[in-house]
Amino acid sequence: MENSAVLSVDHLQTCFFTKKGKVMAVDDVSFDLLKGEILCIVGESGSGKTVTALSILRLIDHPGRITGGKIMFGKKNLLELTIRELQDIRGNRISMIFQDPHSSLNPVFTTGDQISEAITAHRSVSRKEADARAIELLELVGIPIPEERFHEYPHQFSGGMKQRATIAMALACAPDILIADEPTTALDLTIQAQMLDLFSELRKKFNMSIIYITHDLGVVSEIADHVAVMYAGRIMEKGCRDDILKNPKHPYTKGLIDCLPSEKGKPASIPGTIPNLINPPEGCIFHPRCRFAMEICRLRRPMPSKTNNEHYVSCFLYGDI
Amino acid sequence: MKLAAYYWERIKRQRPAMFGLGFIIFLIILATLGTYFTKSPTKVNFDEKNLPPPGYTVEHSMYSAQNESFITTLQEGTWEHPLGTDSMGRDMLAQLVSGARVSLLVGLLATGIAIIIGAVIGVTSAYFGGAMDDILMRTTDVMMTFPFLLLLILIVYLFGASLTLIILAIGLTGWTGTARLVRSETLSLRTREFIMASKALGAGDLRIIFRHLLPNTLSSIIVLATLSIPGAILAEAVLSFIGLGDPTVASWGNILNAGQGSLETAWWVAVEPGVMLFLTVLSFNFLGDGLREAFDPKGE
Amino acid sequence: MRSYIAKRLLHTALISWGVMTTAFILMRIGPNSPADKYLAGLGAGHNVTQVVAAIESRYGVDKPLYEQYFSYITSLLQGDWGWSFGTSMPVMELIKTHWIYSFQLILLSTIFAVVLGIALGIFAAVRKNTAADHAVAFFSFAGISIPNFWLGIMLILIFSVKLGWFKTYYDTSLPMFSLENLHALVLPVFTLGTGMVAGYSRYVRSAMLDNLGKDFVRTARAKGLPESIVIRKHVFRNAMLPVITIIMLDMGSIVFGGAYITEVIFGIPGLGWMSLKAVFADDYAVVLAVTLIGAIITLLFNLLADIAYMYLDPRIRYE
Repeated sequence: MENSAVLSVDHLQTCFFTKKGKVMAVDDVSFDLLKGEILCIVGESGSGKTVTALSILRLIDHPGRITGGKIMFGKKNLLELTIRELQDIRGNRISMIFQDPHSSLNPVFTTGDQISEAITAHRSVSRKEADARAIELLELVGIPIPEERFHEYPHQFSGGMKQRATIAMALACAPDILIADEPTTALDLTIQAQMLDLFSELRKKFNMSIIYITHDLGVVSEIADHVAVMYAGRIMEKGCRDDILKNPKHPYTKGLIDCLPSEKGKPASIPGTIPNLINPPEGCIFHPRCRFAMEICRLRRPMPSKTNNEHYVSCFLYGDI
Repeated sequence: MKLAAYYWERIKRQRPAMFGLGFIIFLIILATLGTYFTKSPTKVNFDEKNLPPPGYTVEHSMYSAQNESFITTLQEGTWEHPLGTDSMGRDMLAQLVSGARVSLLVGLLATGIAIIIGAVIGVTSAYFGGAMDDILMRTTDVMMTFPFLLLLILIVYLFGASLTLIILAIGLTGWTGTARLVRSETLSLRTREFIMASKALGAGDLRIIFRHLLPNTLSSIIVLATLSIPGAILAEAVLSFIGLGDPTVASWGNILNAGQGSLETAWWVAVEPGVMLFLTVLSFNFLGDGLREAFDPKGE
Repeated sequence: MRSYIAKRLLHTALISWGVMTTAFILMRIGPNSPADKYLAGLGAGHNVTQVVAAIESRYGVDKPLYEQYFSYITSLLQGDWGWSFGTSMPVMELIKTHWIYSFQLILLSTIFAVVLGIALGIFAAVRKNTAADHAVAFFSFAGISIPNFWLGIMLILIFSVKLGWFKTYYDTSLPMFSLENLHALVLPVFTLGTGMVAGYSRYVRSAMLDNLGKDFVRTARAKGLPESIVIRKHVFRNAMLPVITIIMLDMGSIVFGGAYITEVIFGIPGLGWMSLKAVFADDYAVVLAVTLIGAIITLLFNLLADIAYMYLDPRIRYE
């Protein structure tokens, strides 16, 4: 059963009800996360990848709301659980780490306390045992002298150390799934590389699946098993890493890859900007920026079609209409 | 003007602020025109003392020398005095209208004085900095630390209780908040490009202060002023209430002072001016809060 | 931190000196100099000028202003706060017998206001934009706007005059915390506390909302903590930082603010009641001393508020 999905997101839809209108931040997003794999969700800022991640743990704040779809975790639909049942899964079976380590730790409690708290929330262990486990975790994520760092406050940590601490927090209960929302974006480049190594190593050690959200195709090429490309709240293309990076089908993915600096010359950029999601364009949401836009792209919305083994693309250039 | 219309649109949406504005307008009309329609607030008539508002009756006991016993009579309010009369038979409605005039006068003038002094001190302090800043800010500290009520009481007690003096006293002691606000806003503006640019173009200090610095702090000043008015009105009311008000005018505080003594016989004398005072303060607070919301660029 | 506190204490001394000097000058330049009035009253009848002269030299008020000023400062530095004409006792003795009543009133009111204000603020923040929240907001506005001296009178009218539930006579011959006196303090505490409750509930609500939107709250939820712990631990603790500062600042300014007038209405013999009596009795040494004490209390509480903030916020504590 190596290839069974631990999490499958099915037609997820999340909207934000703002004063100016309804914003479809995530629209009809589906993907499977396999056991032990790293799935990268890639896209520009504003493409809905963070909202997708937050929707999985139902961490969407007002005025946002999940308006449709299913998120199956094992036999449970996360969207139908009571808040109690959900709290049992959060931080225990599915953990999440956030983009900005500087603000995601509470400044008035010690880092160690915030890690122990994640343990005592789910395991009936004594305070002392939890603290000892927290120190082990700090060591595991590569924080030197963890016994001392345990008693320090977040502001005494560097950015990279803070992110390591939040990773330790996320690993507290050895979760099945780790969702990492651009965990290295706020950090220095040199630290980014270390963090990627840490993720690969931890994945093996804990045998967990990782949803890794990033806007950086370089990161994707290093750690991803599968990739889903998001644009304006929808998945444009998804498949194995090599299929996506070496043989992209969707014009948007191709554009993204062309944007990468290469030896050939200066990077191209995709003309235009992300559309207004209150009044999204009809048909394919990418058509206003697409070089290959046809008449049908303005009228109808493309459904994902399978181009080859596990490689799906939502574009009228491929498959049957 | 366009800007004013924009802010008006934003204030209009806030119901409490509109209620406040409505009541303040009502109060202004009452204070300016009301006196033409009411009786004299100072006319004493002991035959009609302690009359309740119409619809209420109270018992009055009087010692009758003739019968050598107490005679209890029932007194009913009349529409002649729609809000009743006080212990000297003065018409309450007329007194409240006069009180509205006093309160508005105190609120607006004292706040005006305070804002002007505060703005001058704040801008000077921030713009010139150095020793000037030190001296002015330490003075502000002293003023702020001075027990405010005690200072007012002291000034009015020592220099005599006239309305003019009360207004001056409240204005001369209430500028510290404005000074601090204007100073900090000026400090943050001083280094902004457009100020640097006009400096580079050779604009004089006064021109920079009046053309650039003050107008840019205007919205904060308006909010602060609106929220300071109730403070000034309350200060006058407290002074009058403890017996240091101008004895020649009927102010809400004066009436309350009298009403406190006759709670058992004439409750309305203490209730009515307080209700007015409360609604006035509430209205200015609502309006000030609404203005702050409207001016807040983070709103929407 | 120690040098910071030393600097602030110096500032406190400087500002107190400024307040004292202003009050001193004010009382001597007024057209109705309290000393003159008092002395004139004493000598009424016969031989006024002689009596006045005798008393003036006895208390040193015949000397030039600057000499009086320096002798006042000198004795102040030696711990002598002057002599109360009105009550014929040292000013310090007078203050020592009266401060405790202010302290009791303020302590009880603050406890009442802090408990209720925090509870209402949290309640409103958690139920943001519901009817309950609007009700708390309306109460806050009303509570901030209601003149507390009028509120006091209304409470007396309703609960004492009409219903007769509370007598409002504070009896100093009974122990301070005797049931009779605590009963008599119910209405004063409510009078003084209502405005404070209203203010605190607004501060707490906005501080809670500020923190509810923070990233670390999302982290706490992502950990699987129950919402009650998220609120009680992560949001509340952070929201309390500014609120505690405000409570401390309030306690400093309330002695001669709200408590002053409350004492006057209910006849509680605290510092406010005493100082108003002193003003009307032209007892200038008492007024001067009370002004100075008021300033020092305010300044010390400001300092205390800062120190509390530094202590409670680890980001500042460890610098």
